[in-house]
Parts: sequence; structure tokens; C-alpha cells
Amino acid sequence: MATSTTPPRLDRRASSTPPRAPRRVGFSQTLGRWDVKVSPYLYISPFFILFALTGLFPLGYTAFVSMHQWHLIGGQGPFVGFENYAYILQEPNFWKSIRNTFSIFFLSTIPQLMVAIVLAAMLDANLRAKTFWRMGVLLPYVVAPVAVSLIFGRLFSDQFGIINTLLGYVGIDPIGWHSQPFPSHVAIASMVNFRWTGYNTLILLAAMQAIPRDLYEAAVIDGASRVRQFFSITIPMLRPTIIFVVITSTIGGLQIFDEPRLFDQLGQGGPSRQWMTTTMYIYEVGWGNQKSFGRAAAVAWILFLIIIVVGMINFSLTRRISTDNSSKSRKKVKR
Amino acid sequence: MRKTTRKMWAAAAGVTGIALLATACSSGSGTEGEDEPSEGGNITLTVATFNEFGYTDEMFDEYEASHPGVTIEHKKAATSNEARENLNTRLAAGSGLSDIEAIEVDWLPELLQYPDKFVDLTDPELDGRWLGWKQAQATAPSGELIGYGTDIGPEAIAYRSDLFAAAGLPTDRAEVAALLSENGGGWDQYFKVGKQYTDATSKPWFDSAGAIWQGMINQIEAPYENPDDNSIIATENADVKAAYDAVVQAAVGDNLSAHLQQWSDDWNASFQGENAFATMLAPGWMLGVIEGNSAGVTGWDIADVFPGGAGNWGGSFLTVPAQGANTEAAKELAAWLTAPEQQLKAYASKGTFPSQVEAQKSPDLLGSTNEFFNNAPAGEILVNRSEGITEVYKGPNFFAVNDAFNNALVEVDVNGGDPAAQWESAIQAINALG
Amino acid sequence: MSAPSVPVIAQTAGKGAARAAARKRSTAQGSDRRPGWVTYTLLGIAIVASILPLYYAFLLASSTSQYIAQNPIPSLIPQGHFFENVSRVLNSDIKFWQAVGNSVIVAVITSASVVLFSTLAGFSFSKLRFRGRSGLLVFVIATTAVPTQLGIVPLFIVMSKLGWTGKLIAVIVPGLVTAFGVFWMTQYLESALPYELIEAARVDGASMIRTFWHVALPAARPAAVMLGLFTFVGSWTSFFWPFIVLGSSNPTLPVAVQLLQATYFKDMALIMAGVTVSIIPLIILFFVAGRQLVAGIMQGAVKG
Repeated sequence: MATSTTPPRLDRRASSTPPRAPRRVGFSQTLGRWDVKVSPYLYISPFFILFALTGLFPLGYTAFVSMHQWHLIGGQGPFVGFENYAYILQEPNFWKSIRNTFSIFFLSTIPQLMVAIVLAAMLDANLRAKTFWRMGVLLPYVVAPVAVSLIFGRLFSDQFGIINTLLGYVGIDPIGWHSQPFPSHVAIASMVNFRWTGYNTLILLAAMQAIPRDLYEAAVIDGASRVRQFFSITIPMLRPTIIFVVITSTIGGLQIFDEPRLFDQLGQGGPSRQWMTTTMYIYEVGWGNQKSFGRAAAVAWILFLIIIVVGMINFSLTRRISTDNSSKSRKKVKR
Repeated sequence: MRKTTRKMWAAAAGVTGIALLATACSSGSGTEGEDEPSEGGNITLTVATFNEFGYTDEMFDEYEASHPGVTIEHKKAATSNEARENLNTRLAAGSGLSDIEAIEVDWLPELLQYPDKFVDLTDPELDGRWLGWKQAQATAPSGELIGYGTDIGPEAIAYRSDLFAAAGLPTDRAEVAALLSENGGGWDQYFKVGKQYTDATSKPWFDSAGAIWQGMINQIEAPYENPDDNSIIATENADVKAAYDAVVQAAVGDNLSAHLQQWSDDWNASFQGENAFATMLAPGWMLGVIEGNSAGVTGWDIADVFPGGAGNWGGSFLTVPAQGANTEAAKELAAWLTAPEQQLKAYASKGTFPSQVEAQKSPDLLGSTNEFFNNAPAGEILVNRSEGITEVYKGPNFFAVNDAFNNALVEVDVNGGDPAAQWESAIQAINALG
Repeated sequence: MSAPSVPVIAQTAGKGAARAAARKRSTAQGSDRRPGWVTYTLLGIAIVASILPLYYAFLLASSTSQYIAQNPIPSLIPQGHFFENVSRVLNSDIKFWQAVGNSVIVAVITSASVVLFSTLAGFSFSKLRFRGRSGLLVFVIATTAVPTQLGIVPLFIVMSKLGWTGKLIAVIVPGLVTAFGVFWMTQYLESALPYELIEAARVDGASMIRTFWHVALPAARPAAVMLGLFTFVGSWTSFFWPFIVLGSSNPTLPVAVQLLQATYFKDMALIMAGVTVSIIPLIILFFVAGRQLVAGIMQGAVKG
């Protein structure tokens, strides 16, 4: 691992270099030392500075705004402590938004993961035209959520939509995609699934390909069927990746805005907020009828904490599972 | 290989640099970068409207021709809702608004709270140009006039004569008007005829409960807020509750509604459907919407009648945000656009009914007919319909309160919600505004 | 032989190399047997499901609004009004070309910037040794999980104070760096940039920045292309923040397209024509660079 062995190529070059004048060496060494010391920080500084300004500072400042009365147009008002939080927490619409967000999140994560695993398993086979199939499932990823939502909003129209019309042909009553909470969540989750299933399929496919083949060979010797191999080797070995996928979808999924916002033309999340997510609620409180930045900031901060908590739960799960699986290989690599 | 790599990187770095420079430059002057103060120089005035105001390119060309050095850029993008959000956001930001911003009457009051954000458009020369109540709507409590009226929305009844005929109802517009005027011509009569119609055909009478609600609320003098102090009275106003009950009874109880949410996909598509509704409340600007949605449908007509007397639905104003760079020139243009001559052209173009006294007396307007609506004398009908419109008091929370009731009605009418429970949740939403 | 670089360069080449080897070793299972028709059928269904909604949009975009209202299920054969509808979109009030231009500017600048800054930071994190390195790296990894989108309220307030609302710079600046990018390039350079190359450059007396420019950047190219592609797609498709801070007066493409739906008279053919043309640029990109996207996702999965 340690690469301190100098390759011969370097030796040759070093010896052919004429010796430098002492003064120059001294100067260039000072310069070099300074270069060596400062450069690492210099190179990471653009990221940290920009990220602090546009990412961390606003998050921190959110807490400040949330403690004030703060009107969209009127601007900063007096300090009110936790009044905005108290207000938000007793608002039924806030709780509706939490319900909707989690419902859409589960409906988009769990089925998506299951389909993605199955697709990945199929892509893992020795297919003809591998690249074609892989690209095929990834195609929706490049379609903007706005476009997806406009298309699916039409597909899911209550009276004149293609889906309810087709359901009518097989004798099923029209479903209130735009009127009932659960169906609307299904419709919105289907947009998320449309866009992200292929992406996650490829992640899982890569993980599947990293599973050592000797595991399967041993299973074949033991006489395990392919289905059994799938459940007792593939799935357990995929666990860390699955949780990685879940974490990424958590962070994105709990902030979902585009798809529900454009699910109808008003963008309020339905007449009684059937599909209003928490991020939409932030928008509504801050820029909509209430025009209260203070309250909007309070909601943002609450959602932030929720995401952190859900993320930490996931993280601890990941740690436990991944240390079980890969502690040996990690140790070998780590210094 | 190495060389091309290096070239690629150099190119990428170059592109970034140039692009950053470009944005840095453009951000210095901004989107309204052309707005340099006019010292005999050229200025660009941006005009932002929504839906259909009926302002044509020819009108702007005409203005540009008579005002050398002025270029007009017309931005027409959003619905009223979208325009409202955009305006609020930019107003908060303190930049990014157009030189002239159109505002709809329902959310004008919330902006009247910030007269300092707009240029005071008061101009003695223009006194008496608009109907009194129209001008009053745009006047802030402290006296500033923040908007010049464009159009108003006097309401008539649009109906499908073919569907009327099939149900055995009269088809002639005068007879329809007479029928709906019987028994005092109130909402009860409108619903009663509707019941006859639906009993005979099992088809819906009107499109949506939300539309009827608009019609009724726009006849209540001070529906939601107390004119003295703007406190919200909607929740205890007996007239509002009565209107709610009446709409619910008609839409759901008597099943007169097509159970559609206004402006939704389904609503748009339903104009063509087999279960199309027979009537609609039709302010002037709605005629264009009906026509747009009804390609291939014949039989629409307009009756010179409206339940419960006169009513106004919608109508807009042009304002000049104070953040603009050329507010004087913008004010002049706004005054020109809202002059009777221009509004008559707008009416000819998109059917937006003028709010100017003089324009309403114009023979061109009075003599105008609408081909799509069976050549109905639309101008004359709308002029008649605008008589007796009284000012409805709309305070800063009008839009938000109305939104809450609308949502409740959609739940009841479209989604089969419980009327009492929905009323409660509307009240809850309204209380949250305080 | 003075080699000041030797002690400062973290000797981490082995870690990535081990992973790369692991990756090479593992090939698709059952490589000897071709799968049966069931697999192909199911995959075929998945592909059809990926394409069908887009084709549906195209079908509506090539009909008239009257046809759409009368036929909930459109004929599978396009109606032939596509170009007419597209030209209506291009001539409509949503400023389509301005929106395309804005989207291009924002996506190009943010991608280039993310790639450049991420590669710089990734080089530093993966190959240079400095105090606080591991702590800062952990911080970067942790911040990939921070939902920065939730800072919109203050971000909006700040942009207003700066007078940037309605201007592209308000969308560009928050997109100039991503924690994910830094993490990604660090991971990649750890394995892909042989320590010997840096050493050689340093022995030649190259400064750090020269080393970066002539050694690290070329080595980072494959990963940089992928990162650039992902950033480009992300920027091109993003809606929430541009929608709030730019609004309809100076929109990016998604913001403009959704305006087509926001009218009282909803012309479905027009909306879908707008949707279709807005999708086309990235579909083209996808056909050109889809392999890279696939490879990028799969590599990221193994590393992440």
C-alpha cells in the first residue's frame, strides 16, 4: 500500500537534473513550503466559502427569522420567541402537510425500491445490448419534474383522464386522483417513481455486480435455486446500498415540491390540501396568503429537524449493517 | 491525448470566466437594464399583464410612434393568481417588477396597504374617466390612487340554446331573460329553472359551485371585512352563510352543478363533453374563455339578465410600482392605455368590458355583436348589465378569505365533502389569517 | 534530491486501487447463460413505461385542443399539428427562447464551476496532507445530507437585499458548489490519480497549482465529465428556487413551461407542445452522453 518506493523512472530523471544553486534552492524551498502549507486550504476554500454563504448561513439565519414577526412585504418585525412555532404546530394544515409528505415519501420509496431491485437483477443477467437496456430505464431521469408533473397531471385527470377512462373500460369507478388524499399521493408518487426508478436501478445494479461471485458458486454447489440465491445472497449483500438509496431519497423526498405543486393548475395542493407537502406549505405561508416569513422559517426549521432525525435513524442503521458486512475488507484497506 | 485534455480544460475555464463575466455585467444593470433614466435618450417600458387584457401590438406600436425614444415590452404570462404571487414576491424583493403592473380587483386591496410601493397616479385631468366605484376601489385610505382602471366584469347569463331547446325551455335570448326574471329574478328563480332543466334532462345546469359563489358574493355590500377597520367579519356574516347554504343546496342538494372545479383540466374539457352544462355566469371577459374552450360547439348565446340584480366579477387596474426607473413615463403610458379609445380597442380585441364612462357610451361598443354567441348584441347587454353595480367592499384579506370559501365549495361540490365540515374548515383557514 | 512533496502527500493510493480491483473482479453473474424471454419482456415493459408518458405528451402536442377534449385516449398515431403547436409555443408570451437561453447560461456556469471547484477540493482532500483534513472531509460528507433547500426564506431575503431577485445570478451563485461534487471528486481522485505522478511533478519543481493543472485535472477528466453532466441535468430540471427568485419575468425553462398551464383557457395541445420542446434538449444530451450518465451512476454507487 505504501508507495514510498521510488520508481526507476524518477531516479533517472532526478540524476539528470543539474544541481541547483544553493540560494535558489533556499528561496524555492521557502516558497515551496509556503505553497505546500497553504495550497491545500486554498483549494478547498472556494467550496467552503461558497457553501457557508449559500448553504449554511441561510439555514442558520432561518432560525433567526423564525423567531421574529417577519412580513413578506413589510419586512422584519419584533422578536417573538417561539410564537411562530407554537402557531405552526397548532395549524391543521401543517400536520396535513406532514402527513402528505410522509405518505408520498413512503409510496415513492418502497415500491420504487422493490421495482428497482427486480429490474437490477434482470439487468444483471447476461443481456444482449446491455447499454440499450440500461439507458432505456434511465431515460426518465433527464425529464424535468415540471414536465413529468404536467404530463401525469393530465393522465390522472378525474373525469377526462386516460387512466380513469381505462379503468372505466374494465368496470372500475373513476378514482378521485385530484380529490382524495390517498389517490393523489399515489399519483404524485408515480411521478417520482417514473423519474427515479431507473436511476436507483443502476445504483443497485452496480452494487449487485460488486457481490463476489464465489458466494453464488458456493450456493450453486449447495443446490440453492436462483430465487433462493436472490433472497439469501443478493438482498443481504445489497443492504448497505439499499439504505444508501433510502437516505438519498429521504433527503430529496421529504422536500418534494415540483410534482405536487404542478399537479393542478392552482398549485395549492388541493382544495383541502389533499396533496400539499411541507415544502409547499412553506411556500404558502411565506409567499401565499399569510405572507409570513417568520412562520415560513419556523416550518422550514421544523422540517429541517425532521429530515436530520430521519437521516440519523437511517445513518445508525447503515452503520450497524455495513460494519457487520464489510468490517473485514475495510480493515485491510485502512491505514 | 494530454494536449486535448488540457485544451478542453482551458476551454472550459474560459467559458466559465466569460459566462461569469457576462452575468456579472448583466446583473449590474439587471433585467430592466434598458431602463436607464431618460435624458432625451431611449427608454424601454415593460408592461406586465395576465390573461387577456386585449392590448394589441398595434396599440403599442402606435404609442411608440407618437412617443419617439420609447420602446414598450409587453410581458403577458400568468394568470391572476400567478401574477399576484409574482407581484408580491418582487414587491418584497424591491426589484424585478415591470414598469407597469396589472392588478386584479380581488387582490388589489392587499396592496392598498402599501401605497408607498406604488406611484400615486392621481391626476385631476382624469377625474371622471372611470365609474365612481371603480376608481374608489383603487384609492388607498390615505387618498393615493394606485391604479388606473382597465376593465370591469358586468355579469350576464351565457346559455346553450341547443340544450335549452332539448329541455323544452325557451331559446330566444329575450325569452330566456324574461324567464329568469320571473318571481323577482333572484337566485331562487335561476335555481328553479335549473331544477326544471335537470329534471327534464338529467344534465347539469351550471358548471361549478365556485362560479355561483362568485356571483353571489359580488352582490353583498361588505361580505368579508368590516369597511371601518378591515376586521374579518366573514365568519359571522349571515349573508355569507346564507350564500354558502344556497350554493350548496343548488349544487349538491338539487344537483344542478356539473361538479367541476373552475379552471381545472376537467372543467376545460367539459365544454366539449356530453354532459356539458347549460348555463354559465358570464362577465364580459368570460365570453372569450367560453369561446376558447368550445371549439366545435354551437348554440352558445347570452341573455340580458342576471340573478339578484347587477353584479361585477373581476376587472383590473394598471399600477406603476415605485421601484421602476421611469415612473413618470410609465404613468403616462398607463394613462394612455386606460383611456377610453384604447379600452374600446381592447374590447374589440378580447371582449374586456371597459370601465370608462365615456367608452360605455360609445356607439361602437353599444352596437357590437358577438358572432360566436349567435350574434348576440354583447356590447349593449353588458352595458345594461353594468347598470346598478354597486361597490363591494374588499379589504386586504378578501382574496385569502374568498380562497378559503372556494376551497370548501370545491370539496363539497366536486369531491362530495360534508358541507358543514367544510364550512368549519374554511372558518379555520380564515381564522389563521389573523 | 530534494523532494519536499513526499511527506505532505497522503499515501492513500492503495485504498482506491483496492476498490478498483474489486470492481474489476466482479463481473455479471451467470455470464455464461443468456436470460430467457421473460426477462426481456419485463425489461421491455419497463422501457415502454419510461417512454410512454413522453410519447403521450408528444401525441397531445400534435393534436388540437378540441381533439384532446373529445378523446381522453388519443390515437397512437400523431395527428400532425405538432409543428403548428410548437410554433405557437415559440411565439407565445412565455418567452421561450429567453428561457432556453437562461437555462443554458445557468446550467453551463454551474456545471463548469461545480466541476472546477470540486476537482480542486477533491485533489486537496485526496492527495494532500494538511491539518484538519479528515475533520473537514467528514464535514463535507455530512453536508451532502443537509437539505439546503430549506434555507430559502433567508436566501430570498438576502437576494432581495442584494437586488438580485429576478436575475440569473440569484440562481447561479447558490449552485456554484455542491458538497456532493467535492465528495465525488475526492473519491475518484483517491484511486485514479497515482501518487507517483504527483511526486514526479513535484520533483520537477512544479508548484502545487501547476501540479493540479497538469496532473490532477487530466486524471480527473472522466469523473469530471460525469459530475458536469449530473450538475447540468440537475440545474436544467430544477424548479423550486428559480420559480421563487426569478418568477415569470425572467424565467428558466421549467418556470416558463409551467406558465403555459396557468391560464383560464387551458390549451392542452399548447401545454404539451411546450412540455415536449422543453424535454428535447436533454433527450438529445441523453443520447449523446447517456453512457456516461449510466457509468457515472454505477461508479458512484460502488464508491458511495
